[in-house]
Amino acid sequence: MNSVFKFTALTICSAALGLSASVVWAQTHQHAHPHGEAKATSKRTVLPFDEKTWVHALQHGPRPAAYLFTTSYCSTCPAAFAVLHKAVQQRKDKPELNAVMIDVTGPQALRHAAHFKGMTHMYAFDGFEPAIRQAVDPAWPNVTPYVVLVDAKGQTQRVIGPPPPLMLKRWLAPS
Amino acid sequence: MNLLNRWCAVLGLVMAWLCVVPQAGAHDAVKEASKPAATSQHRHQRPQLATGAAIAPDGRLWVVGLNAQAQLFVQSTPLGAALQWSEARILNTGADPIAADGESRPKIAFGPQGWAVISYTMPLAKPYTGFIRMLRSSDGGQTFSAPFTVHQDRQEITHRFDSVAFDAQGVLHTLWVDKRDQPPKGSAQKYAGAAIYRNESKDGGQTFGPDTKLADHSCECCRIGLARNPQGQLQATWRHVFEGSIRDHAFASVSAPANRITRSTHDGWHINACPHHGPGLALNAGGHPTGYHTVWFGIRKVNGQDQAAVRYARLNAQGEPLPETLRVLPDARAEHADVLADGPNVAVVWRSSEGAVTSLKVWLSTDGGQNFNLKTLGQTTGYNDHPRLAQSGARMVVVWRNTQETQVHELRF
Repeated sequence: MNSVFKFTALTICSAALGLSASVVWAQTHQHAHPHGEAKATSKRTVLPFDEKTWVHALQHGPRPAAYLFTTSYCSTCPAAFAVLHKAVQQRKDKPELNAVMIDVTGPQALRHAAHFKGMTHMYAFDGFEPAIRQAVDPAWPNVTPYVVLVDAKGQTQRVIGPPPPLMLKRWLAPS
Repeated sequence: MNLLNRWCAVLGLVMAWLCVVPQAGAHDAVKEASKPAATSQHRHQRPQLATGAAIAPDGRLWVVGLNAQAQLFVQSTPLGAALQWSEARILNTGADPIAADGESRPKIAFGPQGWAVISYTMPLAKPYTGFIRMLRSSDGGQTFSAPFTVHQDRQEITHRFDSVAFDAQGVLHTLWVDKRDQPPKGSAQKYAGAAIYRNESKDGGQTFGPDTKLADHSCECCRIGLARNPQGQLQATWRHVFEGSIRDHAFASVSAPANRITRSTHDGWHINACPHHGPGLALNAGGHPTGYHTVWFGIRKVNGQDQAAVRYARLNAQGEPLPETLRVLPDARAEHADVLADGPNVAVVWRSSEGAVTSLKVWLSTDGGQNFNLKTLGQTTGYNDHPRLAQSGARMVVVWRNTQETQVHELRF
């Protein structure tokens, strides 16, 4: 009897702690401000990214901005992000640099935040990955890093891998 | 002790209540926040559907994967007219987290003497790191051992994307992607990609030989394809980083000395990225010459334009491509193809997504890959695994799991 009660008590405690942790994450998540300043990074939040997010970002999102689509296993992605970070370091307007995790969400995604120095927001796919990927680009063959650069006029450039210097120059050219 | 238990239970209930009661501040903040079109919380948790499949010596099909509680399970069914799945059996994996997504799936392999092994990658706390873990059975899968780490190296680094198979002599081969040869952080030295390491067990996974290197400079995040040669020895293919950051494919006999590799594809894809899209390999025993069938994803220049595609070709016995056999799969959305063969019968299987709908497709040949017929085997909406192939002699099956079911398609030529 005692062991049954102990088990029950420990189970309830564990469940409560787990639930507590997930709700704390969700509430932090709810406070995330996608159009806020770079402070979002220090809050360690992750925003959902579904089929509609991309259209919204292109129409109403900040310009210039960069979106690097990545995965939890993409060890070549941090270096590509560093290329973006270096490109904007000397600029006063600080274009948004966003990372979009394709394969994991929540705390699992946030584990990778430290790899993306200078990141403004972290997003994570929220739904069936091929459907969201095709909404971003029907021709994107699920290779990461996949980088989309949105310039001041809203024009996009897309590349798999680190963006080359000429592409970066075009991205950051004044409107 | 009783007092402590009761206190713990009461505390748990209070914490649970506090957690589920909406907090006014949080609610207001959501209303005020300027959000993108999407909801502010993730609606979907990506299910861990990646599943391994194999046909046991008695002809039963076995699958291994994770259930909704992330527990490792095995299940089996006789093949034939109607599937009769056994009750899913949960295996003891201790506190191991288990990778079961995309190219990283639990695997099951059967050997002689009732040997069976299950392997998986256990992600570690540090991103991109992992250990290859294994459970072994000496009674044909009726019981399995507790999990153990397969490799001798215990650094918190990449040991991931394991592949396992028994050769014709009953030797168990485990191969994986390994980053032990990376120069120290901050070093001026550069090392492209990762390495392929391997070891052998001659007693069904009870003991293992040393970790040995098969090749430097593999890609970091793609599965390794395995097939037996006509003598029953294992051959491997993987995405490789060739000179100049070219990600094509390499082929090697798994028992060969380090870096004795053959380049098996020539897409010339110059990229520093993770395709997460490894190759497939099958013996072409009846071919002239005898060699292999292979499928892979790559981007190559065609008339000056990048052409991303899954391609099929045959290789000679040394793993060199036979250029005249190169074909692009007849599906621009083909993903994660794999290949099986038995004599002149060849099956190339892949999945193809159009928005939320995914189709399972097969290309069947009865003349050793000279000609193929395209068929659609199934369709589903939403999350689904890559197609997994299993073979026993002439019998070939495709296992395809989604959130509702595990489909099994026996291939008829």
